Amino acid sequence: MMRNGKKGQMRIIEAILASFIIIFALSFANIFVITPTSPKYEVTELQKLGYNVLHDLDEQALLARFIYNKEGDNITAALRVLLPLDVHFSMTVYDLQGIKTDNTAIFYGDTETFATSKNIASVTYGLVGYATKINDAYQATYEPRIVILQLARG
Amino acid sequence: MERFITHKKGQFVMIAVLMIAIMIISIGALMHRAVTYYRHEPWEEYLTLIGAIELNSLRLIELSLANYTNTDSPDQDILRTNLEKWQANLTRIYLGYGISLNSSNDCLACDWNKNSSSSGANAAFTLDIASIGLTGYKFMAKAFLNLTILNKIDNEINVTVRGEDGTPITGLGKDNFQVSNSTMILNMTSVASYYEPKEIQVYTINCSENMTTPITVKVWDERGIQVTAKYP
Repeated sequence: MMRNGKKGQMRIIEAILASFIIIFALSFANIFVITPTSPKYEVTELQKLGYNVLHDLDEQALLARFIYNKEGDNITAALRVLLPLDVHFSMTVYDLQGIKTDNTAIFYGDTETFATSKNIASVTYGLVGYATKINDAYQATYEPRIVILQLARG
Repeated sequence: MERFITHKKGQFVMIAVLMIAIMIISIGALMHRAVTYYRHEPWEEYLTLIGAIELNSLRLIELSLANYTNTDSPDQDILRTNLEKWQANLTRIYLGYGISLNSSNDCLACDWNKNSSSSGANAAFTLDIASIGLTGYKFMAKAFLNLTILNKIDNEINVTVRGEDGTPITGLGKDNFQVSNSTMILNMTSVASYYEPKEIQVYTINCSENMTTPITVKVWDERGIQVTAKYP
C-alpha cells in the first residue's frame, strides 16, 4: 500500500518537473523570436510611421522652420532620430507649381534600397507658410509647400 | 499482444509522451499566432491625415494673424483670403482623397494701446474626406496673444504675456520686446522672467534710458504675432 502511494508521489513530482522543463524551453525559445513583418501591410506601416513623424515635427513647430529656412541638415538629423534605424528615407519639397524649392539632398540610407525595394511608402504633407523675421520685422505670407517623404526598409 | 496488456507501465509512459507532444504542438501554434497577429486598422492611416489638416488650419490662422499684426496698413480680409486659398489648395496637395474643407465664423481682431492689449483670430471648420466616407468633421482653430503691463518702477517695466486659454508664454527674450516712449525707441539692457504666484510668469524689462510716461511696449511671440500695449 505504502509502495503504491510513494509511486504516485513520484509521478506527480515527475509531472511537475516536466512542466517546468517545458515552460523553461518555451520561454528560452521566445527570447529568440523576432516578430515577422507582414509584407502585405509593410507599405501601410511605413506610411503611418512617416505621417506620425512629420506630424510630430510640425506640432513642435520645427518642420515649417526647417523647410522654409532651408535647413536640410536639421531635417535629416531630426528624421534620423525619429525613424527606426532600418528605415531609409528621401524627402523632397515642392511648391504648388510642382517646382523643387530646395536642391539640398534630404536623404538617409542606401540608394540601392530605393531602387530594389518592393515596398516603398510615399507620404504627402502640406504646409501653409512660416513667419520669418527679416530686418526686425516679421513677414508672414501664405506660401504652401508640399513635402514628399519616401520610406523604405533597408 | 499479451505483453502489451501485461506491461501497464509502458503504456502509461507512451500516453504521457503523446499528451506532452500534443501540448507542445498546441502551445507552439498558439505562440506563433500570438507573435504574428496583426490587426489592420485602416482608420489609423486617416487619423494622421485629419490631424495634419487640423494642425495646418491652425497654423494658417496664426500666420494670418501674424501678417495682420505686422503690417502698417493691415488687410482686413487677409484671413478670409488665406482660408479660401487653403481650401482650394488642399485638393491639390492631397490628391485623390476627395478632401473638402469649409470654414465659417472666421474673425480677426486687435485690441491695442491699452494696459492689457490682445491680438486674436479664430475660425470654425468642417472637413469632408470622400475617399473614406467622412462627412461633417468639425473643429475650431484659434490664435491669441495678450500683453499686460503690470507696473513701471524707475527704468523697469513688469509685463505678462499670455497665449490661448491664458497660458503664460515662456522663452521670450530681448528680441521679442520693444519699448518706446512718445519720442523714441528705448534701449533695453535686459529681459528676465520670474515666477509670481498670481501671474505665474512675469517678464521684467530693464531700459538704460530714463523712462517718461506714457510708454509703449511691443511683443512678438515665436509665431510672429504682435501686440502693442500702452502704460498708463
